[in-house]
Amino acid sequence: MSAEYVLMKGNEAIAEAALRAGCRFYAGYPITPQSEILEYMSVNMEKRGGVFIQGENEIASMSMLFGAAACGARCMSSSSGPGFDLKQEEISYLSAAGIPAVIVNAMRYGLGDGEITAGQDSYWVSTRGGGHGDKRILVLAPASVQECADLTYEAFDLAEKYRNVVEILSDGAICQMIEKCYLPEPHEHDMDKFDWTLTGKPRDARKNKAYNLSYYMGYEAYDKYMREKIEAMFENEQRWESFMVEDAELVLVAYGISSRVCRSAVRQARKEGMKLGLIRPITVWPYPRKAFKDVPESVKGYVTVEMSITSQMGEDILLATEFKKPLYGCLTSKELPTVEGIIDRCRDILAGKIKPMEVL
Amino acid sequence: MPVYRKPESIINTAGYCGGCGHGVIQRLIAESIEELGLQDHVIGCVDIACSFWSQDAMNFEFIAGPHGRCASVATGIKKVRPDATVYVHAGDGCSYVIGLAETMYAAIRDVPITMIVVNNGIFGMTGGQLNLATTLVGDKTLSSKAGRKVETMGHPVDMLKNIANCDVAFAARGALYDARHIDETKRFIKKGFENQMEKKGFSIIEVLSPCPTNWKLSPVEAMAKIKNENEKVFPVGVYVDRGGKD
Repeated sequence: MSAEYVLMKGNEAIAEAALRAGCRFYAGYPITPQSEILEYMSVNMEKRGGVFIQGENEIASMSMLFGAAACGARCMSSSSGPGFDLKQEEISYLSAAGIPAVIVNAMRYGLGDGEITAGQDSYWVSTRGGGHGDKRILVLAPASVQECADLTYEAFDLAEKYRNVVEILSDGAICQMIEKCYLPEPHEHDMDKFDWTLTGKPRDARKNKAYNLSYYMGYEAYDKYMREKIEAMFENEQRWESFMVEDAELVLVAYGISSRVCRSAVRQARKEGMKLGLIRPITVWPYPRKAFKDVPESVKGYVTVEMSITSQMGEDILLATEFKKPLYGCLTSKELPTVEGIIDRCRDILAGKIKPMEVL
Repeated sequence: MPVYRKPESIINTAGYCGGCGHGVIQRLIAESIEELGLQDHVIGCVDIACSFWSQDAMNFEFIAGPHGRCASVATGIKKVRPDATVYVHAGDGCSYVIGLAETMYAAIRDVPITMIVVNNGIFGMTGGQLNLATTLVGDKTLSSKAGRKVETMGHPVDMLKNIANCDVAFAARGALYDARHIDETKRFIKKGFENQMEKKGFSIIEVLSPCPTNWKLSPVEAMAKIKNENEKVFPVGVYVDRGGKD
């Protein structure tokens, strides 16, 4: 970590941290609100000896990444909303072949084209998506520019540790805000250090193939490998931050930009005599179920604070709480949540004016 | 006495149907690579269609899929392993239909890879459906049972003319219906690999190739169809040779 801080946008922090992690291949296609990642890479990638490609579309960008990542290079792509949809095909192929890669999804609001402003309704496509087939994507959700840098830097290690796709799930607010940030130390990645990559080996050497692992391992061994890998990620990688949950009457649950507002709301509510707490998932897959074990039995319920029409994260909260406590929504759709809005909602919940969510 | 030698890079049988042209093309690739002394540093890129079998047959490293994206996948590989010989062996569905954008932009970027496209006018792996780019007008397929109609399906397209619009190193079409044309195809493929050795840019070699199984013809009839029908729409020869004759 450098001793001096810099002022950066979230998008720039992601791009710079990737370069410092040894990312030497980026391919992507412009889409708001994350185009600064592509622009930053276009300026800085070649200076570090890497490859920058502006793809003709998302699918081609990801296919180029698929080839480069299969060769052992640290690779990244980024997108948002409809652009992220197009990346699903290659996420499935990367997952099938056990090829690590880091993909950024800066959520914009809405269906179809939606809006170019911040949203949090790509939770499902991130935590449940990744195209067809059975696999999990490790999804890290930064809530500050510093976390944009830290989580992206670490994402490459995680991707290689598990030979898995890792996603950075930011949003239109986190990726556009400018904050101070301490950047990680530059790291040189050795793309020849793995035993599974394509290097173009001589005739007498054992050859690697980048294709479905199941084709070479056999389905029984492959199923076991995948199950054990997913269980290991689930057990080892749950990350969260708990804030004042020890004596909370109601616990807010929020990630990314919403979690920042929630933190202020917890402080303000306590000044007004209402005991709120906050669980902030840092990983949204694996969902930090362990975090909910620290919450006292006396808690009256949970409030999911999300920028979506219906709750997308709610299902995960219900699973984490084993349906033992009521779940309420504070859902702000395309607007950022406000401290006042959250506190008013919680006051109404405690007064019995709001029913728990039934439809998620 | 001439000795008929099998290329040492071919180490296994492949799953091609009887009379298929893929195996001949695979052999021409192996011969070209070996004659140029490149076989110790090769990465092949196949589609998840008929060319897929090549990765089990050849003693090279391979990557397969996603369908249609071979030119992009090979681009990514060549960019991070510029010293490796990187080639694509894919069909016309991959290269000209679902992956047309990927093929065209590999040409537009002039990526120094060697791309071999098998033009058999049909979707072979999926059982014989229409290929929008290469099925001849009137040809019957599983998805054009009354024959290809121009009114609804358009005309087949000579994609090498489109590619010749881009500044590429080499674009040529060969055929497999007799020894002379197989020899010519081999020269084109070898030229494609030589260009890559010399870092000259994008080389694409399309090959008119039979699919007796899905054409519902005998292997001999299939070769005659290429000569009498397909070659009329898709003329063989060199379309682009930026470097000129060596």
